[in-house]
Amino acid sequence: MMSAVPVYWFLMLSAVLFALGVAGFLFRRNIITVFMSIELMLNAVNLSFVTFSYQLKQVNGHLFTFFVMVVAAAEAAVGLAIILTVFKNRSTLNIDEVNSLKN
Amino acid sequence: MILLALIAVLIGGGMVAAVAARWSAAAARWISLLALLADFGLGLSIWVRSAGAAGPWLVDADYAWLPQFGIRFHLAVDGLSLLLLMLTFFLGFVSVLASWSEITESVGFFHLSLLATLAGIAAVFLAVDLFLFYFAWELMLVPMYFLIAVWGHENRVYAAIKFFIFTQLSGLLMLVAILALYFFHHSTTGVYTFEYADLLGTALPPGTAMWLMAGFFVAFAVKLPVVPLHTWLPDAHTEAPTAGSVVLAGLLLKTGAYGMLRFVVPLFPDAAHKFAPVAIVLGVIGILYGAILAFGQTDLKRLVAYTSVSHLGFVLLGIFVGNALALQGALLTIICHGISTGALFVLVGSLQERIHTRELGRMGGLWATTPRLSGAALFFTLASLGLPGLGDFVGEFLVLLGTYRVSIPAAAIAACGVLAATLYGVRLVQRAFHGPNVHELRLADLAPREGLVVTLMAVALLWLGLYPRPVTATFQPAMDRVERVALK
Amino acid sequence: MPGNFATASDVIRFLPEIILAVMGTLLMILDPLLHRRSSNAFGHLSILALAGALGGAIYAYLNGGPAFGGMLMVDGFATFFGVLVIVAGILTILPSYRFLARQGAETSEYHALLLFSVAGQCLMVAANDLIMVFIGLEISSISSYILAGYLREDKRANEASLKYFLLGSFATAFFLYGVALIYGSTGTINLAGVNVVLSGPGAPSLVFVGVAAALMFVGLGFKVSAAPFQVWTPDVYQGAPTPISAFLSAGPKAAAFAVFLRIFTTAFAPIGHGWEPLVWASALLSMTIGNFAALQQSNIKRMLAYSSIAHAGYVLVALTARSEVGTAAAMFYLAAYAFMNIGAFAVVSHLSGKGERYQNIEDFSGLAQKQPLAAAMFSIFLLSLIGVPLTGGFFGKFYIFKAALESHLVWLTVLGLLNSAVAAYYYLRILVMMYMREPAEATEAVEPLSPGLRLALIVPAIGTLFLGIFPNWVLDFAGKSSVLLK
Repeated sequence: MMSAVPVYWFLMLSAVLFALGVAGFLFRRNIITVFMSIELMLNAVNLSFVTFSYQLKQVNGHLFTFFVMVVAAAEAAVGLAIILTVFKNRSTLNIDEVNSLKN
Repeated sequence: MILLALIAVLIGGGMVAAVAARWSAAAARWISLLALLADFGLGLSIWVRSAGAAGPWLVDADYAWLPQFGIRFHLAVDGLSLLLLMLTFFLGFVSVLASWSEITESVGFFHLSLLATLAGIAAVFLAVDLFLFYFAWELMLVPMYFLIAVWGHENRVYAAIKFFIFTQLSGLLMLVAILALYFFHHSTTGVYTFEYADLLGTALPPGTAMWLMAGFFVAFAVKLPVVPLHTWLPDAHTEAPTAGSVVLAGLLLKTGAYGMLRFVVPLFPDAAHKFAPVAIVLGVIGILYGAILAFGQTDLKRLVAYTSVSHLGFVLLGIFVGNALALQGALLTIICHGISTGALFVLVGSLQERIHTRELGRMGGLWATTPRLSGAALFFTLASLGLPGLGDFVGEFLVLLGTYRVSIPAAAIAACGVLAATLYGVRLVQRAFHGPNVHELRLADLAPREGLVVTLMAVALLWLGLYPRPVTATFQPAMDRVERVALK
Repeated sequence: MPGNFATASDVIRFLPEIILAVMGTLLMILDPLLHRRSSNAFGHLSILALAGALGGAIYAYLNGGPAFGGMLMVDGFATFFGVLVIVAGILTILPSYRFLARQGAETSEYHALLLFSVAGQCLMVAANDLIMVFIGLEISSISSYILAGYLREDKRANEASLKYFLLGSFATAFFLYGVALIYGSTGTINLAGVNVVLSGPGAPSLVFVGVAAALMFVGLGFKVSAAPFQVWTPDVYQGAPTPISAFLSAGPKAAAFAVFLRIFTTAFAPIGHGWEPLVWASALLSMTIGNFAALQQSNIKRMLAYSSIAHAGYVLVALTARSEVGTAAAMFYLAAYAFMNIGAFAVVSHLSGKGERYQNIEDFSGLAQKQPLAAAMFSIFLLSLIGVPLTGGFFGKFYIFKAALESHLVWLTVLGLLNSAVAAYYYLRILVMMYMREPAEATEAVEPLSPGLRLALIVPAIGTLFLGIFPNWVLDFAGKSSVLLK
């Protein structure tokens, strides 16, 4: 089924998703959206891993995906907790308003 | 072993003094004094025993330190470094006495800093491993910084930081040059070593030699100081406490001169030879510039500081003229300037302690109230401006003679510097000590302690002026070696 | 790969990580049992755990070699950095006793997270394939994200934590994408395997590998706070609890550098000419930005943060040298840096007072009069950061610039040394404050040194001086361990 679509396309898709994630991280102002962008980047990488694994006929790449997913889940748990405390203290989720640290 | 002891006595003495100061400030002072006396004695014993010794080093002490880099803890003395060591201990002794009543805060830390500075200076004169030399060179900076910054006058923080940054920056350039030399030596001989004797005569491409020499030259030129790089000096000398000024003028500047003699000329003879005209011009500029600026100062300490710039111009001139006369003159100037300028700083310091100002305008007619202090000031001013019969005269005269053989214009202009020295010297004495006592100052004259200091220094200068033979005989072999390379 | 899940030698070589993870978990379990009675107990226990891990690391070294089918490599390099991060952990805990008590913070989670973070770093430095690096990196990072925001009520800490988390995960994603591309183009993630493929015939297209290396460089650049990826550092170091700032500047940074060194000098050694200019530029940029920005800071934690960027630049100089001498120089430097910087932050933590009110350089006025010991120790750390002889910082710099000159990086050396002279200025400013000013509000209010803090100052000071006078032992070990498997 997969052979119908060239491997190259998956890689392109992964690169595009990663780039979208980077763009979202840089340009979005809502902290949750920024965080989602990071998740998007990680999942783009997962897609690459799976594609490469398929292309190389190895099982390793699939395994890496699981590692990444576990780590991403841990990161999400911690990240959301951090975002929550920030929200509790400042009642805002706009990243530009979180800027009290200065010289 | 004895060389190691020279440094250890100072550091140990400083530490004991720092601890002793918790109970009694006087104890700290006495301990420092004793440590310096002990070192002076050790130095004398080396001098006496080694008279007429053959070989490049009179005493040699070589220990392993970082074998993987070819770094050794290698100390050695020849006539040149021995004399400078004696000067170090003598002026150290003087500085302790001079700050006896001036320093009342953190006495322990003061003596620790002072003795650590002296230990660093002694290590600079002793080190014949280039890495160790750089190590000591940087090390003496820190306690000196504290000396200026903690016990100095109004603008001390600025002066101390300026001093530190100037010296560190130039020292780092020297480090690059040292490392480059080390790698060049390895590439030609296959041996990694920082040993001075081995690095002598390392074959270098001419262009590279010039760059490396420049690295060394800049480091020493900042210390000496050579004119465009001198701006830290008036600030540091003026703001430092008396002991700091004595050590700066008498010793720290001399490490620059020592570096030129020990490293710049012998390590890079060809490059130094090519560079000599530039250095001679810089020296002459320094002589005149220092003298002219000294004439314009109203702050007594600043005035003396600028005279140092002028006198050390003679030293630079002498070193790069490079013939026997000039080298001999340069070395005598190094020693005599240390004593005469040191004495002037001591006197200015004791004056400031009494009238709480260094402004010439606030003085005048002091002769009436403090004849001994004024007389001493007159004596050392005359010495400093080159009165025949005193040490400075011999030194500068020899430099001029040597220069005359190489370049008549340079000698002529430098001689003008001597004339200018007369002007600022006379102005100093006249404004401060002669004339009517307009401010109606009633001051205590020199105390016995101060009198002792001044007398010791005066005797030393007279001795150097009338019978410099023992001193010249001591540094002659070392100077001959420098001269041989310089004329090659 | 062997059929067994783990052999005895695997377990031995994994000992430090096991000890730390188990003890970390134990601390969390013990929390309800011990909490009311003595909150210092968690500190004692975690020091015990770290001491155990230290022993474990040495035992693992004595039985060194690859573990888990080559995923880990317990060699001198790993042990050097392993010991370094464990010691950094211990030195972080010492000033934390007083700090946590003063802020009225919970102690069990703090120490558990610290142990997890150190475990992650131990894994990173021993990792021999890219996925292990990633997992170690994340264990270490996720724990430190929480630690940075440990004082939940403190707005500054929240913000530090958020920024650290967002930029840290962002960087991780870059690193991971680089790993994916390497995997795709070489078919392996084992470092030595990548090296073999890249240097063998039929190496994959340089563009692909180059992009991968660049992505990983970005990711690791963030972690070591190298310019131009340094923006998070000042905010995080300023906002995080001070002992944690100290920890971040020593442990995670050293571990990230270890990974950096291992990956770039083994896997990417064949394309060294490609990445050298990149690292060269980053080194120069880091030193310059770090030092010049530090000149303008009035908050001391921020200043130390910028200084840490500059110091990352010095280590990158060593990396640019691309030689074993360079690797050894970086190792030595990071060890010296850990001592002096943790020590410096410990003094800051001591002075900052409840709620970390006093963080300005002016607040150090007259410290020498009030507490000569603290001032003297701080002076040692600052002088070492400047790179004055008799301190570890001096030999560190000397060794790095020697390595750089040996690799003919003349300009980088000269510019780096000029940079380090600029740096002297802002460190000296603190010395001036301590020794030449009269005591001010902060120094008047300063508490007496507690035994923990006393140790936290004296131990790094001894370490700094030891490395400055007898660097032999560490130099030898670093030199021996810098020969990495290619």
